[in-house]
Order: sequence, then C-alpha cells, then structure tokens
Amino acid sequence: MTRVTTTWATHGTTSDALGALAAEGATGALSGERGIVYLSAGRVVHVESAFTPDLGALLTRSGAVPPDGWWDAVDRGGTQHRVGHRLVDSGRLAAGALEVCHLGALFDAAYFVLAHDTRARRFRPGAVHWLGPVRSVPVDVVVRESGRRRELLDRIWPDPAVDTLPLARVPGTDSDELPGRRGRTLAQVDGVRTAAEIASALACRTYHTLVELRRLAADGLVRAAPPAAPPLPPGPEPRAVAWDDPDTALLRRLRDALEAL
Amino acid sequence: MANLETSLKECLSSIDGATAVALVDYTSGMALGTLGGGKDFNLEVAAAGNTDVVRSKLRTMEHLGLKDEIEDILITLSSQYHMIRLLKGRGGNGLFLYLVLDAGRANLAMARHQLRRIENELEV
Repeated sequence: MTRVTTTWATHGTTSDALGALAAEGATGALSGERGIVYLSAGRVVHVESAFTPDLGALLTRSGAVPPDGWWDAVDRGGTQHRVGHRLVDSGRLAAGALEVCHLGALFDAAYFVLAHDTRARRFRPGAVHWLGPVRSVPVDVVVRESGRRRELLDRIWPDPAVDTLPLARVPGTDSDELPGRRGRTLAQVDGVRTAAEIASALACRTYHTLVELRRLAADGLVRAAPPAAPPLPPGPEPRAVAWDDPDTALLRRLRDALEAL
Repeated sequence: MANLETSLKECLSSIDGATAVALVDYTSGMALGTLGGGKDFNLEVAAAGNTDVVRSKLRTMEHLGLKDEIEDILITLSSQYHMIRLLKGRGGNGLFLYLVLDAGRANLAMARHQLRRIENELEV
C-alpha cells in the first residue's frame, strides 16, 4: 500500500509538504517543528502537538471518560491502533461525541503545527497513530482552517507568544467583572503555566482558550512571562490544581518511539 | 451508537420539514459536519454567518450581566425556520447545531424535542 515518497522534502513549508503528500495519497506521519500530522490515503486522520492537550487529556479532565477507562482502552486497543474503537465499543463514549472531541483536538494541534509553518522535518511512510481511525479531513481544509484561526487570533491581539510561553497577570490590574469563561481562564494564569496547561486544567479546547487569553492580553490583564522568570514566580496560587495524572504527552511519545523500533 | 454522520442524517430523516443541518464550532466558525443544503443553500456560509448571531447574543448577555445560558435561538423567515441549538457539554464545548426547516411542513415543538435527543449523542 505505502509507497516511499520523497517529493515532500523539496517543499519549504509543512503545509506545502502536506499538500504534496495529499496529492500522492500518502499514508504516514509528517513531523513538523511543533508536532506530527498523520495521514491516511492523503487525508489527515490525526495531529498531535506538545502545545495542546491531547484527546486523552480532554476526555479524562472533562470527566467524559474516567482515567481508568481511558488507559484501559489504550492498553487493550493501542497495539492494534484501535483505541478510539475500544472507547466506543466498551460503551464509555458515544461515537459522535468521540468524533467531535477528536476533530477538536485535531484542529487545535494543526493550528500549532501550521501556524509555525517551517520546513517539515521527517516523513515516516506507513506510520499509523495508535488512536486508530476516527474521522479524516482533507489536507486543504486543515491548512485553510489553521490559517483562518491564526488571522482570527491576530485580529484580537497580534502576539503569538501568548500561545506558547508561560503567562503572567499584569500587576495592579482590575479583573472583577469578567464574563464566565474569561474569568475562569484568568484564574488559571499563574506566571508558570502555558496556554496548553491552562486549557488542560480547564478541560477546554485549546483554541477557545487561546481566544480568551488573547482577549485578556488585549485588555492588558495578561502577558507572556519574561523568559528568564525568577525561580518563584509571584502567581496568586501556584499549583492550586492538583496535578495527579501522568504526563500523557511524554508517555505517548515514549510509546510512539517504542513502536517505531 | 450514532456517529456524527448518522446523527446529522437522523436530523434530516426524523425531523419533519428539515432540509439542512450543520454542527458548527462558534469560536472559530468552522462547520465540523454538514448535511443537506445543496447548490441554492451554502451551508458553510450559513454556518459561518450564524456563528456571528450566536456570538453577538452571548456578548449581549455578558453586557446585560445575565448568567443564564442559551438553549436555542429561533429565526423565523416567511418560508423557513432556522433553529440554532447550543450543545451543553462539560466545560462548554462551544458547538451548536444549526437546523433549516421548511415552515410549511415543520412542527416546531417536535423539531425542538427531537433535536434535543439527537444532541445528547454528540455531547461529551
């Protein structure tokens, strides 16, 4: 099925490389600077990025699936690349809910991979994600939507550093009358956490969190923390939320690396 | 269990007068799934436009200090009803179902009831 292809490597950006792979109907994993795009027969089936919480984090933190249930599905379905199917077959999640959540995570991660559209690093032909088939999206739709999101975010506040750096409150600002989600988002800004960590803590989609964070930045309430932050940042309640589950992104990368051996 | 495709199909097949349906993310304006519509009714455009309706209403409620949540929004045209139903979901997933109904054939109360049932299968 899988043909070895090299034309992707001639393109200067990840989005152009994806376009070339889509035209060839390629299957495999394309690594960019900020994440990995999984293709099947030229369509995007999954995207992951360390800058967004993955599907497991979204499902377990929102309470939609208990952590035990998620890890059970990963254990039983991971080696056959059928984790998504296991979740649905075991009755833990409706197929529609899984698809909606999966698409959310896919476009969230794609935004990060394609907003920083540098040359793709590597293509692993035939590589399949352990989640298994859920939904697929044409490459051009993913590229177009990522660009549109970047424009929407830049229109609110044109500072992409908010997306990736630790965030801090601007001292001496008043934040009393903020509407629901923006107030909850601001409460998570502690000088240490990044947008991805805040999204994960709120069990909220990363793009929605980015919209709120850029609005907070535009209002002068939040800014990207300086890179050389002091060892004890002056956040109001550092680590107020218990961080009791394993680092899923790290475990996922370990698993991928082991499977690739 | 129903997946996204079958949920959308169910909207068109089980709701009297339904001619088009879309599941839309109102933070980005993107349609996650669409069904029906056709040449004379571009659902992608309708999805993006109705995102502005939802956002505008949410903003108005913020200004008014209303803590309530929107269940649905009904737009009545002379020959069509457009129904916007916000999915609840934990953590507020920012999605709505957009349903176009033929006013001559639709039963609004029934449509609302059925949409609520279909929506349950998509909520996380």
